[in-house]
Amino acid sequence: MICQIDTNNGIPIYEQICRQVKFAIANGSLLVGEHVPSVRDMATSAAVNVNTVARSYRDLQAQGVLVSIRGTGLAVAVDAPEKCRRERLEMVRERLQYILREAIQNGVTSDEIHSLVHTEWESLQREPPP
Amino acid sequence: MEPVIRLSNVSKRFGRVKALDDVSLNIQPGTVCAVLGSNGAGKSTTIRLLLGFESADKGDIEVLGLNPKTHALEIRSRVGYVSDSPPLYEWMTVDEIGWFAAGFYPTGYQAEYAKLTKRFDLYPSQKIKGLSKGTRAKVALSLAMAHRPQLLIMDEPTSGLDPLVRREFLESMIDVAAEGRSVLLSSHQVGEVERVADDVIVLMNGKVIAHERLEDLKQSVTEVVLTMPSLTAMPPKLPGEVLAHVPFGHEHVWLLRNLDGGALTDLCRSQELPPAIIRKPSLEDILLTLLRQNRNQLSAENGTTSLEQHDVSSLRP
Repeated sequence: MICQIDTNNGIPIYEQICRQVKFAIANGSLLVGEHVPSVRDMATSAAVNVNTVARSYRDLQAQGVLVSIRGTGLAVAVDAPEKCRRERLEMVRERLQYILREAIQNGVTSDEIHSLVHTEWESLQREPPP
Repeated sequence: MEPVIRLSNVSKRFGRVKALDDVSLNIQPGTVCAVLGSNGAGKSTTIRLLLGFESADKGDIEVLGLNPKTHALEIRSRVGYVSDSPPLYEWMTVDEIGWFAAGFYPTGYQAEYAKLTKRFDLYPSQKIKGLSKGTRAKVALSLAMAHRPQLLIMDEPTSGLDPLVRREFLESMIDVAAEGRSVLLSSHQVGEVERVADDVIVLMNGKVIAHERLEDLKQSVTEVVLTMPSLTAMPPKLPGEVLAHVPFGHEHVWLLRNLDGGALTDLCRSQELPPAIIRKPSLEDILLTLLRQNRNQLSAENGTTSLEQHDVSSLRP
């Protein structure tokens, strides 16, 4: 799994790593029992500070998403996929709220937002899968 | 733990220019510490003092517990140093320059150098003269890291390099820090610093204007946008330490430290203002604000002195 880190989107880097690991578990790119990259490998491949990755992994462990397997590293916990799918909606909701607040502050109407969501959704459905 | 670098009350002048003005710093082992600041802020001077290329006018310096004035050679053999334009012997090949440098270091240098050059895809038989800027930088980094230094010092190592080489430099720094060794990095690439640094130091006109954990700095600073009902309406005093305040018509933008979010919401409600827009600024935004704020303070100070002088002269008969 590879994390794409963006330093300009206002989300702290450790949070971006947590989210991307959770999204990967939710959509099945990381399976139950599968190991996540070691702290050092993740730090090098994402080009971020080692302590930042360690912090994300600690958080994910505390939330029960990752479990430590003695001597081999961290792996995806048994009930993690369900937990991550639940949280996926919560994370999208937060982002959506942020965008909606911006829209409201700039005087965009509810109808305009609804039609925008509809057309964007349709156009994304037509896009070939990555 | 003993700091790897310690500066206490260090000052350095070049003629009439104060390059460093009473600087005190401690850099802890196992951290990536980034030095930021505009050109001429004192970043390179600091590094040159650490390596004993220059000596301080005042104050004490220790690098790995050694004094650069008396132990410059020992320091240079124990730290790795990469500058933005590394001087290399043009007529040597990639291989030869590693063999040459190995003479100054304990055994094992050449094997590690070969490993590093291989990782960076360098050809051992290529002449330095024919190398591109990026490849030369990789040779310099290999030379600086082959003795596995406890401290790697980099002075704008990636300026003018392509994104691929810059990424390789970042990865090397991360590797060094992952092994509990330390990195001191001076850079203008704020985005890169934001990725890899534990601590940041901001220098301006030879003074330290900020030195703290990057995470704490980013956590404590908030951008607030408030829309006032009219152009003439005075904005309220916000609950937090104001770093900057810029009005754009009737819209006002602040950069605040330690904002009390709850108090801000109450304030907007009680003054019947629309809710404030709150954003987490990037390191670049914070840096620019800190530099501007300090520049304004400085010119304000200079402004008063010149005014005083003016007053005095006008009093003369």
